[in-house]
Amino acid sequence: MTFRISHIAIAAAAGFSAVALLSAGVEPARAEFPDKNLTLIVPYGAGGGTDIGARLLAKDLDPLIKQPVIVQNITGGGGWTGWGTLAAAKPDGYTLGLLNAPSFYMGYLDPKLGRKERLESFTPLINHVIDYVVVTVPPGSPYKSLKELVEAAKAKPGSISITAHGVGGDEHLAIMALERMTGAKFKVVHNKATPESKAQVLGNHVQVLACNLSEIVTEVKDNQLRVLGVMSPTKSRFLPESPTFKEQGYDLEASVSRGIAGPAGLPKDVEAKLVEWLDKVVTSKEHQDKADSLFLELRSIKGDAYRKFLKDNEQTVKDLMGW
Amino acid sequence: MDTLLAVVADAFTPFHLSMMLAGVVIGLIIGAMPGLSSNLGIALMLPMTFGMDPISALILLTSLYTSAIYGGSFSAILLHTPGTSASAATAIDGFALTRKGEFNKAIRISTFASVVGGLSSAIALLAIAPPLSLLSLKFGPAEYFWLAVFGISVIGTLASGNMIKGLVSGAVGVAISTVGLDLDSGYPRFTFGFYDLQGGIGFVPAVIGLFSLSQALLMCEKPHNTIQEVDPTSGGKWRLLPTWAELKFTQATIWRSSIIGIIIGILPGAGGDIGSWTAYNEAKRFSKNDPDFGKGSIRGIAASESANNATTGGAIIPLLTLGIPGSPSAAILLGALVLHGMQPGRTLFTEHAHFTYTVCVGFLIANLVMGFVGMAMCRYMGVVARLPNTILIIAVTVLSIVGSYSLGNNIYDVYTMMAFGIIGYLMRKTGFSAAPMVLGMILGPLAEQGFRQAVQLADGPVLLHMVANPISWVLVSLIVLSVGSAAWLELSRSKLTDVMAEK
Repeated sequence: MTFRISHIAIAAAAGFSAVALLSAGVEPARAEFPDKNLTLIVPYGAGGGTDIGARLLAKDLDPLIKQPVIVQNITGGGGWTGWGTLAAAKPDGYTLGLLNAPSFYMGYLDPKLGRKERLESFTPLINHVIDYVVVTVPPGSPYKSLKELVEAAKAKPGSISITAHGVGGDEHLAIMALERMTGAKFKVVHNKATPESKAQVLGNHVQVLACNLSEIVTEVKDNQLRVLGVMSPTKSRFLPESPTFKEQGYDLEASVSRGIAGPAGLPKDVEAKLVEWLDKVVTSKEHQDKADSLFLELRSIKGDAYRKFLKDNEQTVKDLMGW
Repeated sequence: MDTLLAVVADAFTPFHLSMMLAGVVIGLIIGAMPGLSSNLGIALMLPMTFGMDPISALILLTSLYTSAIYGGSFSAILLHTPGTSASAATAIDGFALTRKGEFNKAIRISTFASVVGGLSSAIALLAIAPPLSLLSLKFGPAEYFWLAVFGISVIGTLASGNMIKGLVSGAVGVAISTVGLDLDSGYPRFTFGFYDLQGGIGFVPAVIGLFSLSQALLMCEKPHNTIQEVDPTSGGKWRLLPTWAELKFTQATIWRSSIIGIIIGILPGAGGDIGSWTAYNEAKRFSKNDPDFGKGSIRGIAASESANNATTGGAIIPLLTLGIPGSPSAAILLGALVLHGMQPGRTLFTEHAHFTYTVCVGFLIANLVMGFVGMAMCRYMGVVARLPNTILIIAVTVLSIVGSYSLGNNIYDVYTMMAFGIIGYLMRKTGFSAAPMVLGMILGPLAEQGFRQAVQLADGPVLLHMVANPISWVLVSLIVLSVGSAAWLELSRSKLTDVMAEK
């Protein structure tokens, strides 16, 4: 090998200087909050559901706080690279992030994964979106109601296939809750994302599609899918004709929710200001209209109520998963 | 007929044409930068389209999509630094040609193949989208498994001349793909207690390392050389269209690869990466009489580039008809569609037919615009091949680092890229090809998920379930043919060398 040290050194130097440039932080100067741009960490890739929602929020928050809100996608580790960064950020209110429940519980509740962060590592500010789990079948399916499906799954345990998106995810938790309540048993087929599941159900490879409501409104209106039940407390305004689980005698709720949080230990005045601004955005007509076009239900749950909401959700996950 | 005229007239309005041009130029730049992918480009442009009408917005984004995939070939050919992971296969033959002083020829073929691939997928999209989209529903877990195994089965032929090294490289690739949280059990596989490994080993950083950084390390060996080792040949001169001889030599490859690209594009979850490698493999199989394949054959470039651009239109087909995106980029386009008030499904072809067909015609024209812009840029880019390596080493290293970091603002991706850069360098020094490893990383998870789901879904004997569908029969026959022919070739070759050795 004819290696020349000087050129390796050049390459290495170029590399390290690039790394140094990228990881250099900026020291904040404390004045009237906020006196510079805010960073909103999205723990998933650009263009996904979390990202699109976050960018809508950032855009509407901009004019209110008169500072730019910069969305930063920090991906990896099933979302935990982003959440870890958020928890470790300086608690000054300039770094916020999206918190996805129940997705983020697994990282620290599951002893196999062993993250050290806890719910208490964050300051929950406000819930933004709530997207309920919905159970649907193709039009040709023999199951006309939730009851028929549950009875069939009880008669022949493990014979009916249903989609979910990862252990400990919202659909998986919902299916487990239904199984526990009724004694039915399903064959859970995990896919990475809903489009794959949709293709499997529309192509009759898997029998039942469990996913989030916003993802199937169009198909339901197009008569490509039939809703057996929505796991929301009341009927969804996007699908006013579809029955809830509750109406059919199954008192179950399940959803994925996304809200905004900061690292633990935010100054109280900063926290109060942020909650006030965020609430203004989330409850504004203009913001609601944009969310409507994505079939996303906005639900403002503020401060301590949001903390309690997350804590209750955490308990549900603990119970169902046995962690 | 007047609706068709209205559609074409609408697509040709100055504003829509300027959207195409903007999409094409932005796409080319994003595509040519390693690490900046078509996904990222579309996602970043999406908020800027909020104020536009739906037609302009979708024309902009789809133009960006196809042109980013094409743009990846520039840096792949020029620097062995694939701009997007979909153009990694292009780097193999493209870079070899650049070294021979035939950069212009390589880009000419890449441009022509990309345009033809893109155009054929646009025509498929316009003419037969609804029936074609059903294909994405026919593929169940068992079919995906066989498709992945078929892809893996060509690894032996892919590693030019050395089957064992190819298989080792491919197996390592499959093994790498198993790292991370298992979807089915939630178990962290091979993470050794590192949080960062829970999300798996990033595919794009690995590809940047294997192809780009390893190239920078190789260039360190000869710092005063230039990439171009000899003066440009007559074939290396700039011209807009391929010569008649080049056309004749590549036309079969381009057609075949375009069809492969469209089909792979339609399948959910499989995009430009799988499309270009599958087409490259097929081209290799059909090019037994082309001694240059893998060492600077224009067929290699034609295959990879026509297929990856053909996946773009293919991926949009099930997106429009079923709301099922055929590739990760198409998944972001789905978001754009919905944000602009257009729901995928039947209404797009009835109520909103004007919207849909105008976007499709716009997409078709964008593929032509892309060819002209690309060829114009090509005139000035060849100079890079004549720069001394010292400069390029720095440029490629910085681009590799910035590119892998910008994927997800995650420093761990940079470490991954660096590790794979060293692995890639050592592999190239010892005669292992990176191509089978990349293929293993792509197809390993597809095969695993397909197999596990098929086993889960089987009522009764698993094997019967696996071959219950005619598509499976076809795929299984292809696998048997593929493995059989490779084994036969290898055997006859070794017999030949035995005979020669005895003499």
